[in-house]
Amino acid sequence: MLDLHGYGPRLLEGAGVTISLALLALALAIVLGLVTASAKMSRSWLAHHIATFYTTVIRGVPDLVLMMLLFFGGQIGVNVITDFLYYEFDIDIFININAFVAGVVTIGLIFGAYMGETFRGAFMAVDQGQIEAGKAYGMSDALVFRRIRFPQMMRHALPGLSNNWMVLLKTTALVSVIGLSDMVRIAAEASKATREPFIFMMTVAVIYLLIASVSEWMFARLQKRYNIGYGEAD
Amino acid sequence: MATTPIPLEVRNIKKRFGETEVLKGLSLQAHKGDVITLIGASGSGKSTFLRCMNLLEQPDEGDLIVHGEEVRFKTTKRGREPADWKQVVRMRARLSMVFQSFNLWAHMTLLENIIEAPIYVLGKPKREAIEHANALLERVGLSHRADAYPAQMSGGQQQRGAIARALAMDPEVMLFDEPTSALDPELVGDVLKVMHDLADEGRTMIVVTHEMSFARDVSSQVIYLHQGLVEESGAPADVLGNPQSPRLKQFLAPKY
Repeated sequence: MLDLHGYGPRLLEGAGVTISLALLALALAIVLGLVTASAKMSRSWLAHHIATFYTTVIRGVPDLVLMMLLFFGGQIGVNVITDFLYYEFDIDIFININAFVAGVVTIGLIFGAYMGETFRGAFMAVDQGQIEAGKAYGMSDALVFRRIRFPQMMRHALPGLSNNWMVLLKTTALVSVIGLSDMVRIAAEASKATREPFIFMMTVAVIYLLIASVSEWMFARLQKRYNIGYGEAD
Repeated sequence: MATTPIPLEVRNIKKRFGETEVLKGLSLQAHKGDVITLIGASGSGKSTFLRCMNLLEQPDEGDLIVHGEEVRFKTTKRGREPADWKQVVRMRARLSMVFQSFNLWAHMTLLENIIEAPIYVLGKPKREAIEHANALLERVGLSHRADAYPAQMSGGQQQRGAIARALAMDPEVMLFDEPTSALDPELVGDVLKVMHDLADEGRTMIVVTHEMSFARDVSSQVIYLHQGLVEESGAPADVLGNPQSPRLKQFLAPKY
């Protein structure tokens, strides 16, 4: 029988941290991705260039560097601002960057850039005639987006989206470097204390695999839902 | 005495794509019950003209008056644009378009396609929209396909479904952009028959087409376009039966 030396409940807690971190970061990444894709496709010069700058920087800098930059660098930035408020206006506040929030924001920012590219490709794959039909029937741009562009785009976006999600899920392991007690960090602590790294790392691997399998099943269902009307062929 | 406004009037429409001027000042008045067919060789501007009428293309010059309401334009860096998109949305809801490639929404069933704009644009209650849709499906002979997706239907069925979708808006004017050009020859007849019936019941229609028999038998006015200008216009018996310009004569001459 698998002996976790009493670390079982803490590992489960860590798994909870991993999952909630991943889901929140995914939500943020999807929102950022949609905004980025819209900005890149917009006729505004400024929006286009800001979005391009964002995706270039994020995709060109290692995830780990970004995370430490945001967590430690962010704290320094916040301190500068609160110090300024204290000396100039006598406002005394203290803000401590929360590791969980920093994790969500960093991972969300990183994957927002990848999602942006996924969504942009997917939006471009939607047949122009489908959108024209919406406009010709008196739909506003917002309504065309909600009722036609978005559902048709999702069909093209889902394969890339599920791929990004799998990578995102594994990237959450990086948050242990900023002191967040996710599943990996707890397993590492337990390994050191008990000198049984194989048992704990294996357990963690199985949990990741389990989450991944459930996600794959869910994405397959989503794919089926958004493929409706397009036949079985693709 | 109150007169009902003319459903659609366009005046002096001009449009250029880059250096090429494709419409060089076109006008048209569609009174209630008119069936106006636009004919001409490809590149004559007939589809672009039709697309200017519901602003899928923005005309560079000219006026557009729908149901007595003139569409307001403004000039920006990008060129001329409608000043008020809400007005455009309102005026588009009065015109419905039938496209060459049908453009039924691929992710919705035929029934969902038909009730979509009545519910979300006109704000009709869902039950009422479905009742109306079922009646329209019956009319175009597609009651048995209500739950089919466009990809599961033949081209002729899709186009008749698209006509039902257009009718569901209770449009003042129906715009047809080469509705039979993408169809296999044996499917053209069914679509033309539906259009024929619509003309008979007094629908106002503007039809871009290559079907000369339809133009001859159904329309109240035929307009022959050549290089963005009206070359000949009038009753079908005159324009098609007794063409004056050599170009129209050549256009109408048997090709084999």
